[in-house]
Amino acid sequence: MSGDAGVLAIGWPQLVLAAGFMVVTGLIALAMGLGLTRSLWLATARTYLQILALGLVLRWLFGVDSWWLVVAIIAFMTLMAAMTIVRRAPDAPQGVLAPTFFAVSATGFLVTFAVTGLVVQVDPWYLPRYVIPIAGMVLGNSMNGIALALERTFADMDARESEILALTALGATPWEAARDSVRTALRAGMIPGINTLSAAGIVFIPGMMSGQVLAGTDPLVAAPYQIVVMVMVATADVLGSTLAVMLTYRRRFTHDGVFLEKGLR
Amino acid sequence: MQATIAQVLLEARDLTVDLPGDEGVSRVLDRVALSVAPGEVVDVTGPSGAGKSTLLRSLARLLPRVDGTLLLDERPADEFSSSEWRSAVALLPQKPAIVTGDVAANLMLPWALKVRHGRPAPDENALRVGLDSLWLSDVSLRRDAARLSVGQQARIALLRVMLTSPRVLLLDEPDAALDAASSAAVAAGVRAFVAGGGAVVRVRHREPDELSARRLRLEAGRLVEESRP
Repeated sequence: MSGDAGVLAIGWPQLVLAAGFMVVTGLIALAMGLGLTRSLWLATARTYLQILALGLVLRWLFGVDSWWLVVAIIAFMTLMAAMTIVRRAPDAPQGVLAPTFFAVSATGFLVTFAVTGLVVQVDPWYLPRYVIPIAGMVLGNSMNGIALALERTFADMDARESEILALTALGATPWEAARDSVRTALRAGMIPGINTLSAAGIVFIPGMMSGQVLAGTDPLVAAPYQIVVMVMVATADVLGSTLAVMLTYRRRFTHDGVFLEKGLR
Repeated sequence: MQATIAQVLLEARDLTVDLPGDEGVSRVLDRVALSVAPGEVVDVTGPSGAGKSTLLRSLARLLPRVDGTLLLDERPADEFSSSEWRSAVALLPQKPAIVTGDVAANLMLPWALKVRHGRPAPDENALRVGLDSLWLSDVSLRRDAARLSVGQQARIALLRVMLTSPRVLLLDEPDAALDAASSAAVAAGVRAFVAGGGAVVRVRHREPDELSARRLRLEAGRLVEESRP
């Protein structure tokens, strides 16, 4: 493994050495009887394999000049993200995969290409070295945001079952009955994002900037990238969550506005 | 023979409801028929789990997959939007739903809904008169509604629905958890409502009161007239 000039590349011996950290973690898990030792080994092995494979795929991809391949890879990542979201939101009703996929892809493509096209101004527009990592960050963050927002919205609606019944009995539309749950979920999802934006650079050095600095980039070049990434991630999170929740909350109601509480579904 | 024909306000024919339960789907209501006239209070009794709340929710069009016919003033239910129907045939669920805010905000909640856009909302004076009529004279409109007693909250929820002037009130055990004074106040509210031409269907376990014109018993999915003691 070789690196660029000025970068202290990590070779195989160092990678093996780094695994020693996980040995310590594994021993702690074993000593405390957490029952997680096997999962830890497995997850660590997966990290090594997956990240190295990612490196190989990205190196290959950066050498291929194909816009459709870039778009196809983002589409595949979007599908994986949508499937993960549905799995992580067990309280969500059936049939949310399609609207979730739409929310993730709209957010992913819109935010990614807005950043690469308008802010970073890459040329050509699909330049994989920029587009794929940015899409990865956008999709990864909006995936977490959407999964939390969906789970919270539907769990809160179930918790407000009697209030929703009373509201619909007063003639409320599904939106009027669900609105408080949607707001609670979106607000809860937005607060960590605001905290991250406020604390960045003081309480912690953000991951991407750390990575760039470690890879030899001038901190004053890395800083603007980090700012763009943080703003982009916050936007993707809010946009994706709002879109996904607005496209799916109605599924908890029948066509004529009856709330499908637990006993009715 | 007296030739008085009571006009029917709300009528249900062949109401049939199947609901999922622990042992698969079961028939909760089986071709139930019910009618209620203006000024009339009909009580529905029956063992726990017999489907009394299901019956009220079916009448309010607040259940999915209900078979049968519903008529209001002889007009079939499908001539009304679901919101219009629920505004006219108003269900008061057993558990009073009190939203965050003061008493006034809770009473004004229905006018924040689209279905009442453009309709005049009651002013503070009307709210005050309403509170007095349900023996809530000591409750300020600015009081945090979450701090009211169960009996007071139940009456706030009843007043809220009565202020929307529905044609029919469907009350699910309106006085089940209330003390004698709160229960009497609820009865006073119901009396005033039927005196104004409204009709009431009440699910009720207590002994019949003077308001109840008929008492029906729901058992094994069928609704039968209960013999008067």
